[in-house]
Amino acid sequence: MKKIILRTVIVLLMGSLAFLLNGNLLVSQDLPKADLPVLTTSAGQSPDVTTLNIVCEEAGIMYDYCDVPDVQMISAGVGLGGAESEQGFHVEMHTDLEQYPQGTGYQTIMFAIGASLKGMGASGLTVDDEVNRLKEIIKYCKENNISIIGIHVGGISKRGAPGSDNERMISAVAPYADLLIVTKDSNKDGRFTDISADNQIPLREIDYALSLVPLLKEIFN
Amino acid sequence: MSRIIAYKILLVLFIGTITLIGGLQLYHHRHFQTPIVAGPGVTEVKKLSDYGPGLDGTITDTNVFFLKAEQEGGKMLIIANTHSNEPAALLSSLIFLENAVVEKGTLIIIPQFNNSGGRNTRSGDGYPLYFEIKTHWGKKRFRMGNRVASPLDQWPDPDVYVHYPDRQLLSYLDIRNTNRTWPGRPDGALMEKLTYAAMELIRKENVDLVIDIHGAETMFPVTNCIVAPEKSMRIATMTSLTLKAMEGFDNHVEPSPSGFRGLSHREIGDFSDALPFLLEAPLPFLDQPTGPKTEDLLLNGKDPFLLKLSKKGKLFVPYDENGWPMSKRVGQHCSAVLEIAKQFTRKNPEKALLISNTPRYKQVVKNGIGSYFKDPSKAKKENIFHN
Repeated sequence: MKKIILRTVIVLLMGSLAFLLNGNLLVSQDLPKADLPVLTTSAGQSPDVTTLNIVCEEAGIMYDYCDVPDVQMISAGVGLGGAESEQGFHVEMHTDLEQYPQGTGYQTIMFAIGASLKGMGASGLTVDDEVNRLKEIIKYCKENNISIIGIHVGGISKRGAPGSDNERMISAVAPYADLLIVTKDSNKDGRFTDISADNQIPLREIDYALSLVPLLKEIFN
Repeated sequence: MSRIIAYKILLVLFIGTITLIGGLQLYHHRHFQTPIVAGPGVTEVKKLSDYGPGLDGTITDTNVFFLKAEQEGGKMLIIANTHSNEPAALLSSLIFLENAVVEKGTLIIIPQFNNSGGRNTRSGDGYPLYFEIKTHWGKKRFRMGNRVASPLDQWPDPDVYVHYPDRQLLSYLDIRNTNRTWPGRPDGALMEKLTYAAMELIRKENVDLVIDIHGAETMFPVTNCIVAPEKSMRIATMTSLTLKAMEGFDNHVEPSPSGFRGLSHREIGDFSDALPFLLEAPLPFLDQPTGPKTEDLLLNGKDPFLLKLSKKGKLFVPYDENGWPMSKRVGQHCSAVLEIAKQFTRKNPEKALLISNTPRYKQVVKNGIGSYFKDPSKAKKENIFHN
């Protein structure tokens, strides 16, 4: 009986050690680099995409932004095919056009993950619409070698029970990302760590959203 | 004298006595003065009636304090007591007023914006009429006011308040709510005249930043936050991110809705060049499912019913046995104001606004609010102001 208990304890300890090492390895992996031009967008229409845009400006990263781009707009490259803001649809063009003229294909798309029913409602989207839109964009990115960076800085307020709006947005983007950046309070339950481990995606945990500034500088050189 | 007449006389005397006792308390409350000691940075004191018509000689007129540096720079206006039942705003503004030294730029403070509301109470809610803050020289006593101006000063209310100039239909009560009457008008109701005068101050003094300080229920989603319109969003977001990273407290950003009119964070931005911000700190006292509305609840924010609701995940802020004390709320406001000035200065060095000698969050929580208030009995008479 003693042997059985001892073996069980050893197996559990080894398992825990392997899990911890695995998690640490993923968190401390070398930071992948990303290329410009970059498009920022929202997965779930929460205001966190505003944070991402402002952080990009602080980091000196010139970007294009659209809250609800579709595949056709993304495939038009820098300038999003001349798309213009209107009620429930917002675009901003900050890409350096001398370096990346209009129509240059995007190399990276950064998704600010977080659901807001108010935000989706303002854009005339249901949760299903948003998930389907994201799936199409991600499929296009994969087919065209566009890097995907998934960012979750909304903390607990942008998490929820399994199947909730926030978790559906995470499921739609995070497993397909090339890099995940999340705040520690966004990953309290270890969901991003699990996604990272299951899909071999580098994960970088940060203490605060403000830490995105130096991190993005590093990623985009 | 018949027995019935005797009963009637007794009843009238009883009601008269109750009315007299209650009325005297309300009379004293309305006329109670809290001395404000102008600190070393105050360079000029004006009246809001200097900027707009219809306020001079009314109870609505209020002091405007200027803290101007020798070096020109950015200009910030702090408005407190827009809602006089959210007193962390008044206390925060007084910390600036009694201590701040402006090294570059100008700080303008209106500590008792809705002076009529500050001399009113909330009938039916059992508000305490006063609250006291401990200082090293004794207790400083303040009136606890109401959200809206007194009907004694603006009457009658309409059936429906039609906002000017958008003609949006709002609650009848909001015509006395100085966070629904922006941008105001010179010939409107008294509270519209008040906000109009403030708009004129902002326009004539070329104010760059306007911060309207408030408090909000823990069960209301727009709490513990900075409300900002599009034009202020960048500074608000950087302020929020920096406060979380450097000072350890949450203060998320809420976008100002463009379709909801009359609010300071919307109209000030639309009707002037200034960047408006509205600060909200959690105020458990305002929540409906609490115990009695006592001074202790106001100052410490501890309530067993809210604690239960917190455990059920019904609140929008973290809440535990420690409640949400006034020092925490005031400290948050002080830090947020200083950080907004700092972020504005970073992006507009030619309009720098440098404020010193004002505590941040951790200092206020550690030292207590009262440690930043001057003793009026030891201050020079010319430095003491009443509204």
